[in-house]
Amino acid sequence: MIKITKEDFNLEEEFKKIHSKKNGAYSFFLGTVRQDINDNIDGIFLECYEDLAYSQLNKIKEDSVKIWNLSDCKIIHRIGDLRISEKIVLVITAAPHRSDCIEACEYIIDTLKANVALWKFHVKGKEKEPVDQKKKDLDKYLSWGQIIS
Amino acid sequence: MKIQKSHEFFEFSNEMSFSKLKNELINQNSFFDEIFKDSSIKFFLNLKEITDENIPINDGDEIALLPPVTGG
Repeated sequence: MIKITKEDFNLEEEFKKIHSKKNGAYSFFLGTVRQDINDNIDGIFLECYEDLAYSQLNKIKEDSVKIWNLSDCKIIHRIGDLRISEKIVLVITAAPHRSDCIEACEYIIDTLKANVALWKFHVKGKEKEPVDQKKKDLDKYLSWGQIIS
Repeated sequence: MKIQKSHEFFEFSNEMSFSKLKNELINQNSFFDEIFKDSSIKFFLNLKEITDENIPINDGDEIALLPPVTGG
């Protein structure tokens, strides 16, 4: 299941939805809004080109299921205004064995951060400042090319 | 560089490819020159990344100009 939403989500409920007797392992990644010491922000704003983002997330999911033999995979990404500590993104991968779902979960969040039509802005009062893409995020995504090709 | 527009409609009378479209847009507004020279911007046609600039553009097609993404 892929979902782009302004609404918050509940971890336990999302786990229950993906839970199945055939799985022996689940891996979770949860991204939240961070308060940096050097960035005194009130929160973030996430903008999305939804049609493209859904298409890109579905492709990432399909690739991950195929490469790591996942039994299921869930990606939820929030958009709009989010305050400090709020949940941004959830990835859950499910597989019979742990190594597959741990690696797939890392691949999904690395690929999402570098390759899905979402843009983050720092919010301070009424000001919105676009966040620059980090080179380390791009390098991490590119490093998967050597593993999955 | 800020476009400050979510979308814009263009009309062309001639047959169009992405390559020709780039030239047309640059002729209309020089700031497109800056965009097309920026290697960090990706271009999509109907949700698929453009890899061949000779790809034809048809009536109703949607082209997206995307700066580096920062989700997650």
